Amino acid sequence: MKPVKIAMMGMTHGHTRKYYQTLLDNQKLDWVASCAQDADAKKTYELYKTGVPCYLDPEEMYRKHPDIEAVVIASANDRHFEQMKWCAEKGIHILSMKIPTFDMKEYDEMIAMCDKAGIVCQIELEMHYNSVVRRLKKLIADGAIGKIQSFQATNITLSPVWAFPWQGDPQASFGRVEHLKKGDPRYKGGALCDHPHIFDLIRHLTGSSFDYIYAEVAPNLRDGLKVEDMLMAVGKMKDGTAFLFDPSWSRLEEKLKVPGPGWERFPKRMEVNVTITGDKGMISCDCFGPNVYHNGAPNDRYTVQYTYFDEWVGLIDEFVDCIRNHKTPLINLKWHKETIQAMLGCYDSIQSGKIAKVGAK
Amino acid sequence: MNLKKMNKGLDFLRDKYGAAKGEITIKDGHCFVGATPLLPGRMERKIVELKKMTENGTLEGVSTLRFAAFAPKGTDMEAMLAKELDLAAYLGASDVVRVMAVSSGSAINVLAKLANDVNVSVEIGAGLPKGEVGYDRHEIIAKRGVACDQTVDTHTPHASIRCYGAKGAEEFTDVDTELFGLSYEEIWNVRAAFALLQKRADAKVWKAAWAKATKAAKLAFAADKSKAAKTIAVKKGLDTNRSIAVAEVR
Repeated sequence: MKPVKIAMMGMTHGHTRKYYQTLLDNQKLDWVASCAQDADAKKTYELYKTGVPCYLDPEEMYRKHPDIEAVVIASANDRHFEQMKWCAEKGIHILSMKIPTFDMKEYDEMIAMCDKAGIVCQIELEMHYNSVVRRLKKLIADGAIGKIQSFQATNITLSPVWAFPWQGDPQASFGRVEHLKKGDPRYKGGALCDHPHIFDLIRHLTGSSFDYIYAEVAPNLRDGLKVEDMLMAVGKMKDGTAFLFDPSWSRLEEKLKVPGPGWERFPKRMEVNVTITGDKGMISCDCFGPNVYHNGAPNDRYTVQYTYFDEWVGLIDEFVDCIRNHKTPLINLKWHKETIQAMLGCYDSIQSGKIAKVGAK
Repeated sequence: MNLKKMNKGLDFLRDKYGAAKGEITIKDGHCFVGATPLLPGRMERKIVELKKMTENGTLEGVSTLRFAAFAPKGTDMEAMLAKELDLAAYLGASDVVRVMAVSSGSAINVLAKLANDVNVSVEIGAGLPKGEVGYDRHEIIAKRGVACDQTVDTHTPHASIRCYGAKGAEEFTDVDTELFGLSYEEIWNVRAAFALLQKRADAKVWKAAWAKATKAAKLAFAADKSKAAKTIAVKKGLDTNRSIAVAEVR
């Protein structure tokens, strides 16, 4: 199979660096170029010494590499629309970060322009390629615990805002500047916008759709943050499954400008923990464990060292397969729309203090 | 170990990433590619992480290694010990030069010394019920920092999934999506074979390292019988404890 000529754009997203090794190793890809949002992003990119040229102007990148077939859009959420449009106009396939946009009008336009261009647009929800999640899916499908009755999940992390400031900027993260609720000085665009995975996972595991959702924000842990960092949600799926989600930035961090050792504080960088009760049993699951543990440099305190997980490998494999074999990705724009609507439902509920019917707007 | 499934996994990786031809064979319970013994322990992700910590400054001034490995009844304890002594040399970045051991029934306790003066203790037990997957622990104690591949305050290894279903409680720990479906032991043997065929691991190094480890394990059992520590002469030359290039995201 002819390798897919691929490029990256933006280089400001927290997941950007996670693609580098996969793009270089996978023989089905030829990583030809990158295009950074600005000089700072380019400088950070160059720290990783990928050997792949980096431009600041997408048009210049395209002029020099007119054979680009696919792009990983690794940018702030409010840049996705214009970048997708740029790709669609050139017939370039897209791997989008996890939030294409929170503006549902824009979202529908994204669907239309990708359909019109006949391109693959895959959404990066890498948990599907995590080996623990794969086992979880198999156990549920095999009926190990019967019909799901209740689903509790955390998608809790440290806050990436010090390394990726756009994630604390309501315009860049949420797409517009809106207070969380009346009298609350904070804006939409924080932890919730960083954590779609559990909203997606429940749909896959139950095979059902969201009915309603109720969410509450808590006081922020971080002084000076304009957006929410602590919140929780409960609700029900249309098949009756009750759920409880924690998509917070409840793990603390050192304020590093470039992620690296010592970023995390107790207990760990990231937890996606799921407990599922079925009518025949129960499953408890830690998607990012086991790890290794130390109290050495740089901070000399107990550290759960986040180890290598290979989600990005499977994610990219699927993307290439979809491009070369004209398939639709598991997480495509149309499928993902309800996940985004459920997340918006959380904000609606926070604003109204009432349950929000998902997709009602 | 299911050799057919393992070689299928190896072919998949070779085809996807490119590597020389080769297949895994088993002799006396140990996996080989050609005449080269595989060192799957060195490929285990947790060992890779620990090795990195000894090299990237997370740990400074390693003093002592405390290892343990437990397996079902009937498991070859000498082979188990050889694996642990190889990992001691690898993580301690120095060869084993002295071993003393005391055994009783299905257990042997070993105290070893590395050429760089680091102490190593290894508990080996082959008394678990048949069918159990076994358990091991690797702790590195340094002047700056302690690192371990098991969680603190627990006697049991962490499992990614616990399923309480009709079959009672079951545990699952899947570590490799590309080789999903293979057992933990099978996965790291396939990864080791792949590293060898990709030339990331050096066949000469692994042959020499395994020869040292098996010799040290044999001498440990001899030391138990003679109630006297056994010394191993270190030959200058090939560094058999250097790290292997692996994928990572930090």
